[in-house]
Amino acid sequence: MKKTLYIFSSGELSRKDNTLFFETEEGRRFIPVEDTGEIMIFGEVTVNKRLLEFLSVKEIMLHFFNYHGYYMGSFYPREHLNSGFMTLRQAEHYLDEERRLNIAKEFVRGAARNIRQVLKYYHGREKDVARQINAVENLIAPIDECKDIPTLMALEGNIRDHYYHAFDEIVGNPDFIFQERTRRPPKNYLNTLISFGNSLMYTICLSEIYKTHLDPRIGYLHSTNFRRFTLNLDLAEIFKPIIVDRLIFSLLGKKMITKKSFDRVTEGIMMKEKARKCFVENLDEKLKTTIKHRDIGRPVSYRRLIRLELYKIEKHLMGEKEYQAFVAGW
Amino acid sequence: MNAREINVSGTLVWYYYICPREVWLIGHQITADQDDANVSLGRFIQDYTYPRERKELAVGQSKMDVFRVTDEGLVIGEVKKSSKFKSSARMQLAFYLSELRQRGIEARGELRFPKEKRKEEVVLNEQTERELDKVCREILRILYLPAPPEPKKISFCRRCAYAEFCWS
Repeated sequence: MKKTLYIFSSGELSRKDNTLFFETEEGRRFIPVEDTGEIMIFGEVTVNKRLLEFLSVKEIMLHFFNYHGYYMGSFYPREHLNSGFMTLRQAEHYLDEERRLNIAKEFVRGAARNIRQVLKYYHGREKDVARQINAVENLIAPIDECKDIPTLMALEGNIRDHYYHAFDEIVGNPDFIFQERTRRPPKNYLNTLISFGNSLMYTICLSEIYKTHLDPRIGYLHSTNFRRFTLNLDLAEIFKPIIVDRLIFSLLGKKMITKKSFDRVTEGIMMKEKARKCFVENLDEKLKTTIKHRDIGRPVSYRRLIRLELYKIEKHLMGEKEYQAFVAGW
Repeated sequence: MNAREINVSGTLVWYYYICPREVWLIGHQITADQDDANVSLGRFIQDYTYPRERKELAVGQSKMDVFRVTDEGLVIGEVKKSSKFKSSARMQLAFYLSELRQRGIEARGELRFPKEKRKEEVVLNEQTERELDKVCREILRILYLPAPPEPKKISFCRRCAYAEFCWS
């Protein structure tokens, strides 16, 4: 599988002959282009049009994060996979309120079931989260009853609230109390980690969408205004609990990230570069981990699971097979 | 689907003999996973073999891999990774030959297997033409189906770049 290139240092990324070249004050290195799937830029990196043209041909996305580690934007090369058939189906399912709601509900259901799975795992490890499991479980059935997207989103928020209430118990570390979910800027360490992980998740989902015939601007749960990517936000809902949150718990549990990993700045709380690197490396490791897929009969990585989810959505849109969100079995 | 888009191409003939579902998917521009190792290898072979010959002759909906003009006329070649699906490759090339014939060009066909350092000649005879005719009609029938034929597990699935799409 192609690799994700993470750039933390500052320098110039350019095209050199038929490959990528990264030059910093400390040194220079060639990066095999055929082996690169996407590039995430955290450092101060200079790029030029020639490079973007090259990345476009090689179908490589570029994601930019600002100085504070927040997602800034992506270079989404011109579409290379075009299926008018699929685009029309995707729009059709957006425009028809009932169909749109159906897909949106499955995203929420998938997210809720994966949340329950995470909670159950920690319940099995003697964490007192029975109350939250109960609360989440009681909110899964009402998803079916939702009559419109705002109600559905409110219900989802509700599920998430209960879930986040379990975080303090799961983490069990006074340095990392949750309090409430805060963004832009996150008000404490745990929120900073969640925000960072989620934004990585959004870009990974976006990169996977680019490899399919789906248009990232047409989402079903997150409202579309055709200016912003939204399908990746929908998709990320399903994977955030089992990939990002689990990773955070494990990094904190192993003390790989501690309160020393953060800086307090005027804009809020920032992860230090070393902590970001540690997070990203472990996320990358996790995405590469494979599981045996029953129906496909090949080992499938976590990252691949995201792509499979998109294939399932495509098949739903084609009217071939009703979409059922992935739910972790462990 | 726009009526103008519905056209049989050589690639569809090739896939017809392997998997009808693939015919429908490709016909609807739902291409297979381009990251798949076999797909990448195919692309590599296409790009880096026969550097001295002219590449990609487009006629109608078809793109022929390589071609050269000799004293005896036009020769078109279809490049394949291996000779494993030789009979479907023959039909694909025969389809190209018949497309050229419809335009008044008599050409010779050559199957090329660069990895095996082999080539094979393909000629368009009456029997092949009859078979082609039947296949083209069958392909059109598949393309007009409102949904793709259901996935069926065959031995090809194991190495197919659509496998994850079909079986997810």
